[in-house]
Amino acid sequence: MWTRDVAGLRLTFHLAGINNQNFLMRDEETGSYWQQISGVAVSGPLKGQRLTLVESDELLFATWKAEEPSGTVLKDVQAFSAEYSPKDWDVKMRRARTVINFPEHGMKSRDLILGIQASEASRAFLYDKVVKDKLVKDHVGMEPVLLVVGADGQSVRAFRDRIPDTAGAPEFYRLAANKPGALLMDAATGSEWNFQGCATSGTAKGTCLERIPMLKDYWFDWRNYNPNTTIYGKSQ
Amino acid sequence: MTPDSGKRTRRRLALVWLLCLTGSFLAVAYPLYVIRPFRAQGPQELAVALVVLRFRPAIVVICTGAALAALVWYWRVQTRIVWRLLAVAGTALVALLALAARVNVYELMFHHLDHPEFAAADRVKLDDDEKVIVVKIGDAARAYPIRSISYHHVVNDVVGQEAIVATY
Repeated sequence: MWTRDVAGLRLTFHLAGINNQNFLMRDEETGSYWQQISGVAVSGPLKGQRLTLVESDELLFATWKAEEPSGTVLKDVQAFSAEYSPKDWDVKMRRARTVINFPEHGMKSRDLILGIQASEASRAFLYDKVVKDKLVKDHVGMEPVLLVVGADGQSVRAFRDRIPDTAGAPEFYRLAANKPGALLMDAATGSEWNFQGCATSGTAKGTCLERIPMLKDYWFDWRNYNPNTTIYGKSQ
Repeated sequence: MTPDSGKRTRRRLALVWLLCLTGSFLAVAYPLYVIRPFRAQGPQELAVALVVLRFRPAIVVICTGAALAALVWYWRVQTRIVWRLLAVAGTALVALLALAARVNVYELMFHHLDHPEFAAADRVKLDDDEKVIVVKIGDAARAYPIRSISYHHVVNDVVGQEAIVATY
């Protein structure tokens, strides 16, 4: 998800090609080509320019609708809806072949990962392991990160593992019982926190954790653009 | 025009066609060959393919213009109908390549959305376990179902006051 305003222009993008299974976009206004994953113009008059990342999540619809009942949803285009992907498209895609491979550390090309870049480092979190662990406390470079799995068992968000204006590590843990609107508690303030990373009770009530951009991707694609990435969930 | 000079002129025109045909063909075929799914792209060949794509419109226009001019000249110096027809066919081929150069196969296969339409969350028919890519800017919250955005790949949108491109 990227902004369209760059270098004083508002760009309109088209799908223009593919580069090792990550697609290329072309903007109408200057004819420059942009790499989807990095948001960098790789050719054309705007070569070297960088789009600004827009924070986004991949969630289950029910989870999002509960958080944003007034939100709007992209409508199907009837002319093409017969060609839309089935619900398990990402599962089926795991069997599709890849043109580049990085079989390091026992990783398979289409292993699903959650990628985070921070503090001049990059780290891939194995999606299946994160979902199983439900709460991951880790570091990307020097940045403390917290990956939280939603109550739906599939949606994941990443936060900075520090409570704003509170010194020290907060020591989050997952609440054992299913409490509506509360997933976590922290030992530092005794506050309960929801899946949006905001405290709903306790001394930190009203405070929200800083979001960290995270990309759900296949291993081969993440590794291609993050050659020095480390991996959570695999011994290295 | 002497027979020898006529022959030289026809050879030169044939060379013009050959160059135009080769130029147009390479301008169309090389990017198609390099930038295709299920093929690994090396950084240098991709860079060359993208430069060719950028200048392709000018290349094919120049080649088509040159082929047409050569055709007119050739028609005047060549009286044999077979060669004239071949010249027309060669020029038509260059013109066809110019048309092919205007086609973006990716846009034919996957239709990006420039004017997406949206519905309220409680009015769309989506299962609870459908995956969506979501964004919130200011008070505006937007969801893009993966089943549709994985087809369109690119959605040019404005959320709140911000112009964004949703990609998948």
